[in-house]
Order: sequence, then C-alpha cells, then structure tokens
Amino acid sequence: MKYRLFGIVFILFFLAWQTLDGLVEGDWGRLEGGLSNLVVFFEESMWPPNWKVLEARSYPVCEQDIEFFCSVGYLGMMETLKIAFVSTILGFVGAISLSSLAARNLMPLYISLPVRIFLSAVRSLPSLIWAILFVIVIGFGPLSGVLAMTFYTVGYLGKLQYEVFEGMPNDPLEAGRAMGLSRPSIVMNIVIPENSNHLLSQLMFMFEYNVRHGTVIGIVGAGGIGYYINTYLKFLQYDKVFALLILIFIVVVLIDLLSLAVRSFVNEEGDVRKPTWLNMLIQARKRRSKSGDVA
Amino acid sequence: MSEDAILSLKGLVIGYDLPLVKPITLDVHAGEIIAILGPSGIGKTTLIRTIAGLVRPLDGTFHLHVGRRGSLGYIPQRLGLVRHATVAHNVSLGARLSVGWSRTMFKDRKERTFEAIRTLGIEEKASEPVRRLSGGQQRRVATARTLAQRPRLMLADEFLGELDQTNVDIVLSAVHELVEEGTAVIMVEHHEDNAKDFATRIWLIKDNHLHDYSLEEWLDIDESSWREQHLGEEE
Repeated sequence: MKYRLFGIVFILFFLAWQTLDGLVEGDWGRLEGGLSNLVVFFEESMWPPNWKVLEARSYPVCEQDIEFFCSVGYLGMMETLKIAFVSTILGFVGAISLSSLAARNLMPLYISLPVRIFLSAVRSLPSLIWAILFVIVIGFGPLSGVLAMTFYTVGYLGKLQYEVFEGMPNDPLEAGRAMGLSRPSIVMNIVIPENSNHLLSQLMFMFEYNVRHGTVIGIVGAGGIGYYINTYLKFLQYDKVFALLILIFIVVVLIDLLSLAVRSFVNEEGDVRKPTWLNMLIQARKRRSKSGDVA
Repeated sequence: MSEDAILSLKGLVIGYDLPLVKPITLDVHAGEIIAILGPSGIGKTTLIRTIAGLVRPLDGTFHLHVGRRGSLGYIPQRLGLVRHATVAHNVSLGARLSVGWSRTMFKDRKERTFEAIRTLGIEEKASEPVRRLSGGQQRRVATARTLAQRPRLMLADEFLGELDQTNVDIVLSAVHELVEEGTAVIMVEHHEDNAKDFATRIWLIKDNHLHDYSLEEWLDIDESSWREQHLGEEE
C-alpha cells in the first residue's frame, strides 16, 4: 500500500514536471541568473525596510497622541481588517442562507440546482475581478472592497457549506421532517447546530483569506493597505512596500493565532467548550502524541 | 373508516421498488399501542417510514387525522438526535411543535422542555451535548423530545432495543403518559416479550401479509412455538 501511494505521487510529480516543461517550451535558460537578480533587487531596492510607513503622514495633520495611529501602515491595515471583517460576516450570512437552499438533502432539485448554478457563477469571478467591477460601478474606496469580498465570500463559503450539509447524517433530518418542523426550523435547529464545528472553522478560514486578499483588491482601488502598496510600487519605493509586506505577514500570523483560539471552542470530538490558552496547548500536544503513535 | 380513527390505511402498498407487503387496510385509534413484529427485512421499518411520510407508498392511501401540524411523533432507529447540540435543545424541538404562537411562547416552550426532561430523569444532563450520553440515555432524550411534542400519533422504530430494564421502565412510563392523553403509538419491536408487556395490539408481518391481532388473540397463540410459527428464521 505504501509503495503504491509512493508510485502514484511519483507519477503525478512526473506529469507535473512534464507539463511545466511544455509550458516553458524547454527554455530553462531563463532561470539562469534569476537568483542573483533577486539578490540585487532585494539589496538595492527593498532592504532595509522603510519603517516611515509606521510614522504619521504629513497630511492630514495627526491629532492623535501616538503617531503610529496616523501612519499609512496602521490606517491601511485597519481598513483592510475592517473590509475583511464586514465582508466575512455579510458573506457568511448570505452563504448560509443560500447553501441551505443549495443542499440536495435539504431542498428539492428544482430549488437546489438553480441556487448551485448561481453560487458557481458568483464563485467563478475571482475577488479581484469583483473589485474591478465594483470600482467601475461605484468608484474607488472601501465600499467597493466590501462588496467585492462579500460576493466572493458568498460564492466560496456557500460551496463549502452545502458540501458539509450534504455530508451530515440523515436521521436527524428525517426525524425533523416527520415531526413536522418547517424547513427554516430544520436548518436553524438541526443542520446548523449539527455542523457548528465545520462552520466555525470555515468562518475563520474565510476571514484570514479575506485579509490576505484585501491587500490584493486594494491595488485596483478598492481601499485598504493594497491601495498604499500600489502607490509605493508606482513610485518605485520598494523599501516601503517591503515594510508593509512585513506588517501584513505579522497580521496574518496573529489571525492564525486568533483562529486557533476560536477553534479551541470546539474540541476534536465536536463538543463546544470554554477556550483557554491551556486547552490549545494541550490539544496541540495531544495531536502530536497521536501522530507519534501512528508513526 | 371509523370516526375516531387517528390513522386510516386504505389498500396501502409499501416498498421501494417492489411491494413488500400485500395491500394493508386498517384503522388505528386513540390510546392504542401497536407493536409491529416480524423477521428482519420484511418491511416493518418501511411501513413506519411510509406512515411518517418519508417513503412514498407504491399504491393505496393513508390518512392521518391528527389535526395541527407537528402532531406526529417519530423516533427513527438511530433516534435522529442532533448529536452536537445539548439535551435541552433536542427536547425543545418537540416543545417547539406543541406550543403555539403567544406572548408567553418562549416561557411555555422552556417549561414543557424541562417538564419532559424531568419525567425522563435526565435533568442532570440537560446542558450536555447528546453525543456524550450513553445509548440508554440517548433513547430517553428521544422519548423526552416526543413527550414534549405531545403528538396524537407516535411512531418508534425499535427504540426499546438494547435498553436495560430500568431504562425500559422509564421510557414506557413516559409513553403511557402520552397514551393516557389519547396518543396512539406504533412501535417496531424485535422482542416479543416487550411487545406483550406494553402493546394492546400486534401487527405481525409474515409472508408478505400483515396480520392484525388484538393482544388477547396474540396471547392465545401457543407461546412455546410462536417464533417457529410466526417469525420463521428470527432468533
């Protein structure tokens, strides 16, 4: 079994390599000097990071006691976080309403099929394209960003959610139906509680995703830290871009820790409990020892 | 159909693709407790699921004269509980159906929920997720849900199976509480002894026929040979 798996992975890797070779048309010479180019670019343009992005902007005049709160880095990142937060919550609410209509075990085909097609259509446009569309329709600014991310969240989260709903055991649904509970009541009182662990996990993943993509959509003028990155790129101020990238990295790591804390509400068996840092560490140790046992 | 019938089956043919049992024509009245007996795979569960509206009959009709929506209690073989929700949440699903819209709706629901939980003796577990409970306790939760629902007709699929005597007594006393209020009960049962203890009527499915016996008629059948005669290969 082990060897068969190894063989499959090897074949897939070989196929990927062959495909890549076809894509570059065998011209591997391009890679020559790539690393040295990167080193030169990094040393001359990016290093050291310019931490002026964390100092107060010259205009408008800062009225805060601490300069950091008037800085490009803080203001941009806060706007990105706000866009991600609002669009994740709005998208989650939209997605859960649509995914319960799209799940084949909850709705008849004539309802679920059109909703699935709608979700696919929404999902097929990347968040960047949604952002460009909304910038065209309503202009530059965070509202375009929020709408773009919300639409993408609905499409993406909707699919994840209806797949989870379709995988749930059938007997609670049948009991609810036979007893006479209405469809909305079945969704609210049976489907959502039964899948709360997955839903929470998906919500946190989507928030993290939206923060990371919030930086990208800012580049097309939809607000957030991406707007400033785009400006610095235009003026070839790569050292400031590098400082903002470090800031984004730190925020993503912090969100990952937050995600860990939120998910510690729910343990491995799906029980909801009070989260503590100790719980998280114990869970991590348990997981490690389990994987050690398997090995 | 008699006037006080809660359930009327008229030429009902059950099955998925092929009929499992010859057409059934029967009435079920308030306060009756019916045990369905028969070998495995004969169609007992299909009959219950058809009456519950989960399987379409191949032919014939059935009429539920239960009045309001939510007057049919159903406990499937695997109980149909929301495993990650608390005991109180699960029982409240029944109360939700029996308490109508009013100003005191939420208070009434809560009262009915905890009344059912107390009757089944699981008040200490009220705030625990169902998945942490033992099999017997889970069956008590499913019964409490139906008790809080106060249905006119209760359908249960082998829900006394694997229960110790203490749990059987607790669950049956709750069922009798419902029956006293006029609920009719139809249970699929594997153990004839249990059936004789609580049922007032026995439906035996054998050789593609449903045989309807009153308890007295059933007790007249020679006990020592009843398995051989009526349940065939059943252990």
